[in-house]
Amino acid sequence: MAEATDSPVKEAAVLGAGVMGAAIAAHLANAGVTVHLLDIVPEGAKDRDTVAKTAIQKLLKQDPAPFTHKRNAKRVQPGNIEDHLDRLASCDWIVEAVIERLDIKQALYRRLDEKRKPGSVVSSNTSTIPLAALTDGMPDTFRRDFLITHFFNPPRYMRLLELVAGPDTRPDAVAAIEAFGDRGLGKSVVHCNDTPGFIANRIGIYWLTASIVHAQEMGVGIEEADAVIGRPFGIPKTGVFGLMDLVGLDLMPHVMGSMREALPKHDPFHAIDRELPVVRQMIEAGYTGRKGKGGFYRINREGGGKAKEVVSLDDFTYSPVTRPKPDCLEAARHGGVAALLQSPDKVAAYARKVMGATLAYAAYLVPEVHDDPAAIDEAIRLGYNWKQGPFELIDAIGAANLAQALKAEEQPVPAFLQQIGDGSFYRTVDGELQVFRADGQYHTVRRADGVLRLADVKRRGKPVVKNGSASLWDLGDGIACLEFHTKMNAIDNKIMEMIHTAIATVPKSFKALVIHNEGSNFSAGANLGLAMFAANIAAWDQIEQMVEGGQTAYRALKYAPFPVIGAPSGMALGGGCEVLLHCDAVQAHMETYMGLVEPGVGVVPAWGGCTEMLARYAANPKLPKGPMPPTGKAFETISVATVAKSAEEAKQHGFLRESDRITMNRDRVLADAKALALELAEGYQPPEKPEYVLPGPSGKVALDLAVDSFRQQGKTTLHDLTVADKLGEVLSGGDADMTEPKGEDFLLALERKAFMELVKTEPTLQRIEHMLETGKPLRN
Amino acid sequence: MPSYTAPLRDMRFVYHELIDGDSLQELPAYAEATPDTVDAVLEEAGKLCRDVLQPLNRGGDEEGCTYENGVVRTPAGFKEAYAAFVEGGWPSLAADPDYGGQGLPHLLNTLVEELICSANLSFGTYPGLTHGAYRALHAHASQELKDRYLPKLAEGTWTGTMCLTEPHCGTDLGLVRTKAETNDDGSYAISGTKIYISCGEHDLAENIVHLVLARLPGAPAGTKGISLFVVPKFLPNEDGTPGVRNGVSCGGIEHKMGLNASATCVMNFEGATGWLVGESNKGMRQMFTMMNLARLAVGIQGIGLSEASYQGAVQYAHDRKQGRGLNGPRYPDRKADPIVVHPDVRRMLLTMRAYTEGMRALGAWVAREADIADAHPDADRRQQGDDLVALMTPVVKALFTDLGYDVTNLGVQIHGGSGYVRETGMEQFVRDCRIAQIYEGANGIQGLDLVGRKMPAHTGRSLRRFFHPVANFLAEHQDNKELAPFVQPLSKGFGRLQTVTGWLAQKGLSDPEEAGAAATDYLRLIGLVALGYMWARTAQVALAHTGDDGDGFYAAKLATARFFMQKLLPQTGALVSQIMSGKDALMDVPESAFALSA
Repeated sequence: MAEATDSPVKEAAVLGAGVMGAAIAAHLANAGVTVHLLDIVPEGAKDRDTVAKTAIQKLLKQDPAPFTHKRNAKRVQPGNIEDHLDRLASCDWIVEAVIERLDIKQALYRRLDEKRKPGSVVSSNTSTIPLAALTDGMPDTFRRDFLITHFFNPPRYMRLLELVAGPDTRPDAVAAIEAFGDRGLGKSVVHCNDTPGFIANRIGIYWLTASIVHAQEMGVGIEEADAVIGRPFGIPKTGVFGLMDLVGLDLMPHVMGSMREALPKHDPFHAIDRELPVVRQMIEAGYTGRKGKGGFYRINREGGGKAKEVVSLDDFTYSPVTRPKPDCLEAARHGGVAALLQSPDKVAAYARKVMGATLAYAAYLVPEVHDDPAAIDEAIRLGYNWKQGPFELIDAIGAANLAQALKAEEQPVPAFLQQIGDGSFYRTVDGELQVFRADGQYHTVRRADGVLRLADVKRRGKPVVKNGSASLWDLGDGIACLEFHTKMNAIDNKIMEMIHTAIATVPKSFKALVIHNEGSNFSAGANLGLAMFAANIAAWDQIEQMVEGGQTAYRALKYAPFPVIGAPSGMALGGGCEVLLHCDAVQAHMETYMGLVEPGVGVVPAWGGCTEMLARYAANPKLPKGPMPPTGKAFETISVATVAKSAEEAKQHGFLRESDRITMNRDRVLADAKALALELAEGYQPPEKPEYVLPGPSGKVALDLAVDSFRQQGKTTLHDLTVADKLGEVLSGGDADMTEPKGEDFLLALERKAFMELVKTEPTLQRIEHMLETGKPLRN
Repeated sequence: MPSYTAPLRDMRFVYHELIDGDSLQELPAYAEATPDTVDAVLEEAGKLCRDVLQPLNRGGDEEGCTYENGVVRTPAGFKEAYAAFVEGGWPSLAADPDYGGQGLPHLLNTLVEELICSANLSFGTYPGLTHGAYRALHAHASQELKDRYLPKLAEGTWTGTMCLTEPHCGTDLGLVRTKAETNDDGSYAISGTKIYISCGEHDLAENIVHLVLARLPGAPAGTKGISLFVVPKFLPNEDGTPGVRNGVSCGGIEHKMGLNASATCVMNFEGATGWLVGESNKGMRQMFTMMNLARLAVGIQGIGLSEASYQGAVQYAHDRKQGRGLNGPRYPDRKADPIVVHPDVRRMLLTMRAYTEGMRALGAWVAREADIADAHPDADRRQQGDDLVALMTPVVKALFTDLGYDVTNLGVQIHGGSGYVRETGMEQFVRDCRIAQIYEGANGIQGLDLVGRKMPAHTGRSLRRFFHPVANFLAEHQDNKELAPFVQPLSKGFGRLQTVTGWLAQKGLSDPEEAGAAATDYLRLIGLVALGYMWARTAQVALAHTGDDGDGFYAAKLATARFFMQKLLPQTGALVSQIMSGKDALMDVPESAFALSA
């Protein structure tokens, strides 16, 4: 959990234990807050708290998990609205997440207003009802403490929090929730006007509607639509129809209906809004998406198979999914979105229609929903997981090109787009990112107080040193930052070289080193493709050098004469996990997923992963004394390729130390890591080299027994046994004698030996190939 | 014309001792392939080649095929020879017993094909293409088509062709224009012109079965819109006999540099009735399954011609007496020494022999893996076999035909002036071999296939099937003193190959032109190392027989292996330099610099 010491919110309540309410409660608990989750008492219920209790049970089973650690569920106190409103008296923040009906919400507000403590904040998670309506007729005291906090589903993972304050809302109430949303919950807070759908859904719903309507009218197939309105635009690969299957088709008529009612007559939404007979038919037939019988896509299990099928928008019939490769996708590979949109094929015409209209709509909404395109981009990036927001996409296409394309289709060009002319919405001046706002001026894009983005550092200057795989940056105040920038941040020889360069460079001009990057994942591990190719041509010396080179580089990091701080977010697997194991301290984003997954590809961790885990478990006072417990525990963790699903879990598994720190907001990881680096730099001493007391052959026998029982339960494959055998060999210390402690070098040599023996086997190479080609482990 | 003796001793060595062909017996499909059967088949094939096919070779070349009013006649004696060939059951050797075949391994068939190619390459094209057509139909056609055509093709009473090339497209088959229109009865009407069709028309068989690439109405452009059709010369009757003449005819035959007794035809399809083979628009893929084997078969042609030329050269080197040995007369009682005493003549002879026997061994290993890929009960093992065949197909095709051309040229050179006149038959081998470097994918294309397709596929998985056996062999014998003269040079060549492969894989990934610039040299490099591996293994086997070597066979093997290691394998060093100098020397030259100047 995060440190909640200075938090403005220590205790909170969530009213309404539906999907969103329960998940918001879970995430508040993740932030270290005690949460009361209250819902109605169902008629005739024996247990009057059953709704909330059931919701908590569901939370514990959900995947992806709403809790960053199961124990956080204990912070969620179930209750009901009839009996437990008294508990609100101790709450700093009350989140209302009940059904989207004004009368019900207001009735609840009146009841809770009597119980809550003065100065507490009340907010609604509404996505459709304006704040003005919610507060209409409510007492002034309530209006002053009320705002809208609009979370996105799932709230733990979606980083956007839309915040709407009314004219009467106290600025300090807004500030308190903003600060807690940012630091405590890890959200990017975007202040929105009190307009329908706020920002993200206003544009998102328009985009979804346009995608379906135009696909149907232009005769574009669903797979084609998803292929183009997806990855090429930096939109998640599920595409539009895949996304609707995910959120549920039955939601569409609701959200479209609410937009239809709420939006003024002249809004461009009305021009694309129409009945969608096939969608209606599908909902009526129970095809509501993944939660129903299927949606635009379905899995047909007839005849015992698992055939993926897709619906026709013309007549609601399913046929096998194809993988269309329209010409425009090929164009996009070489010339990006600009080239895609110029391609002469039908799918490109569809993309022009959908994305052209959507981007124009975003421009049309300035200043109605916000006067700052940067805020709109942030909302779409974080609320819909686009890589670039609409204005960033317009810049990529060229604002003038977009305007011309709109004219060609006889569509109006929004005033804000006319205003930018052939300029761009973003520009860099003196290393500062600036954005063109509704006032017709460029303004510096301001980060929240204390936010340090590597992208901003990079914009301001040149790296200290750089090669094709990694760079060293100056973060200021004597702190250097090592950035990986390979594909998936996979670790290769050049990264190892840069580690050595950093170790030579830092003492000259810096006090400490932070290892951080802003990729989706910190590092997916060693570059398997390189290793695989080398293995295929039997270049064993080269592979052994790769292994030994990694050990040497990581060891050099560990014993460098300055502190090294890992600052990961996202996946840190295999070699990416091992580099963190060698850091003096880690400042991890809560959404960091660590694991030594090497056995999944048929090898053992051999960049010091086994060695470091043994040292950590040996130093863990919770484990029994003696040489066997660390070996057993490390074997238990590594042999099944355990991956921690949060930084909190990583502490439990020992991938992080208890003293390592967690940051909830991804944008704050680097600043926190830098602060930690400065802290550790005072009087820094490199760690002592540990001594290992290893159980040796008798320990191996114990591990073999454990493996054998798994085998008898049918839980292992043939090659699992081989890998487990080699791993056991390393972790038990080979032929070590427990009366003679060994050094790191001894264990590292065992790691290398086991790795080399395994990488020469056919089943290991099959596993690696399978991982490279499918991204999934092979069970052979 | 040189006399010809089938190299049965070496074939038996390769089959039984070197590549353990006898292990194929353990596969249920090849239970019949006992050592006795294998030897008997080779023996009989050798006789047929020596007594029937080889005597027709030179006459066939002189006379060539003739064309008159759509009718093609093969040279004198070919008809009778083909009848004897069919009578002997040779076309069905490796065919499926379900369709009248004998179900013997592809490996054995490959050796028999080599014998035929040595004796009379032109003749060999007729059954060779038949076997290709047979394989394509066997792999892809409907049961009905299989029942109708396969027994006849296996029998050899009907022959087959592959009709791919058109006047405007050869390598780039995506441009195929021949069209197929749907008939009411489920058949198709095929119209278009195909050129360079080997054995497209002749007088050897009662019917000819053409496999034709054509486009269906509305098919996508390029290779994804091509379908495969079977189009017989005579439409089969219900009882299987040839019936009405179909709308396919021969518009003429080509006049060529060599291979004169093999009819190379222009084929006109004028609404000819054909039937779709397998799925529509999948013709290229289907053709490729057949192409792998066809390419291997072309590689075997290179061995066959090399062997024939070598036999002629050896005889001549002993018979021809000119001058004296450089260190004094070897045969002082004669007026002159035979030219075999000269180092340079020996260089040529040993080069010919080392390549020929090396290719035979390598070709046999690949053929054995093709059998495993077809018939092994374990899917992983089948995949491994398939991987090696995929990797080695371009190597066998291009290396063996390039070396075949070099070897047959040396055969002429050893003969001096008499090699250049037709009478000795030595120059025919050169001319006959020349086409093998071109058809079934020109050798430059094979290089591209190797570096562009085979090397990167599955992150180099097919490389593993070659590199690992070699690495394991070297590791196993690194301390073997007796074998050191073979292991050490191989180890050096293999190390070079590993370095270059890693380098090329990375270079080629970012710049396809780099891969293209290195392709031919790389193919030669991996080919030389593969031959080196076969020679090292040969030496290993031979060393175990130094005590029971009455006819000196194993001693000769060791001598040739030593020659290969010392005089041929070192070419790898030069190839490494050539490859790693990159593409600049080729690609920095502006196109305008290729203009002709007065």
